[in-house]
Amino acid sequence: MLVLRRRAGESLLIGNDVEIEVLAITAQGAKIGIRAPKETVVLRKELKITQQQNEAAAQGLSPENLKQALEKLRNNSKNNPSLR
Amino acid sequence: MLSVETKYFGTLCCRDEAVFDFPNGLPAFEREKRFVLIELPEDAPLVFLQSLTTSELCFLAFPVLVVDNNYRLALSLEDWSTLELDPHHSLGLGRDLLVLTLVSVHQGFSATANLMAPIVVNLKTRCGLQAIRQDRMYSHEHPVGSPAPEAAC
Repeated sequence: MLVLRRRAGESLLIGNDVEIEVLAITAQGAKIGIRAPKETVVLRKELKITQQQNEAAAQGLSPENLKQALEKLRNNSKNNPSLR
Repeated sequence: MLSVETKYFGTLCCRDEAVFDFPNGLPAFEREKRFVLIELPEDAPLVFLQSLTTSELCFLAFPVLVVDNNYRLALSLEDWSTLELDPHHSLGLGRDLLVLTLVSVHQGFSATANLMAPIVVNLKTRCGLQAIRQDRMYSHEHPVGSPAPEAAC
């Protein structure tokens, strides 16, 4: 990973048409401004991760596999103090 | 009572109180705005979040405290406002709020829970959302139900 030190008011350029500006830095976090073409998708990474997790969770199981998976989860959870 | 086509259980009759509205849908499922909570005694503590729009869409979930009984909820101001709750009020998990974690089942039936983005429902209004944490306190792939190391006798 490329690591750079930037102060408030300073910018970075990514490629030809994306600019990231550090607007302000406070104890709560850094305020970032992004200038990018409309078609460039900008997402908080947590949102992307949640989308992927939800898609994986939605795949779930086939109805036929459900019983087997539940059985396994239940058996394992008996041994797992965190899953009472 | 409501008759619901489900992914796993055929047609079920559900109480209206078990129907939750998600005004923003869920990330990657923005058009899914209504779910019914299915709780079956034989599958407890696992519960099912069945879409009312798409019968093929049914999430497996655990109450978050089942996976981590010290779980601390963190909601953004926007989340509080969507849930129509006052952030300055102290709320009881399970009493005022239902907090679930969605479960992904992987190969070999190992499972993980997304503790980074719990499903939170205001039980008074039955309005819910998926609250994505901004901190890094919890994993989006928290292992659940994995066999614990053999206990010493």
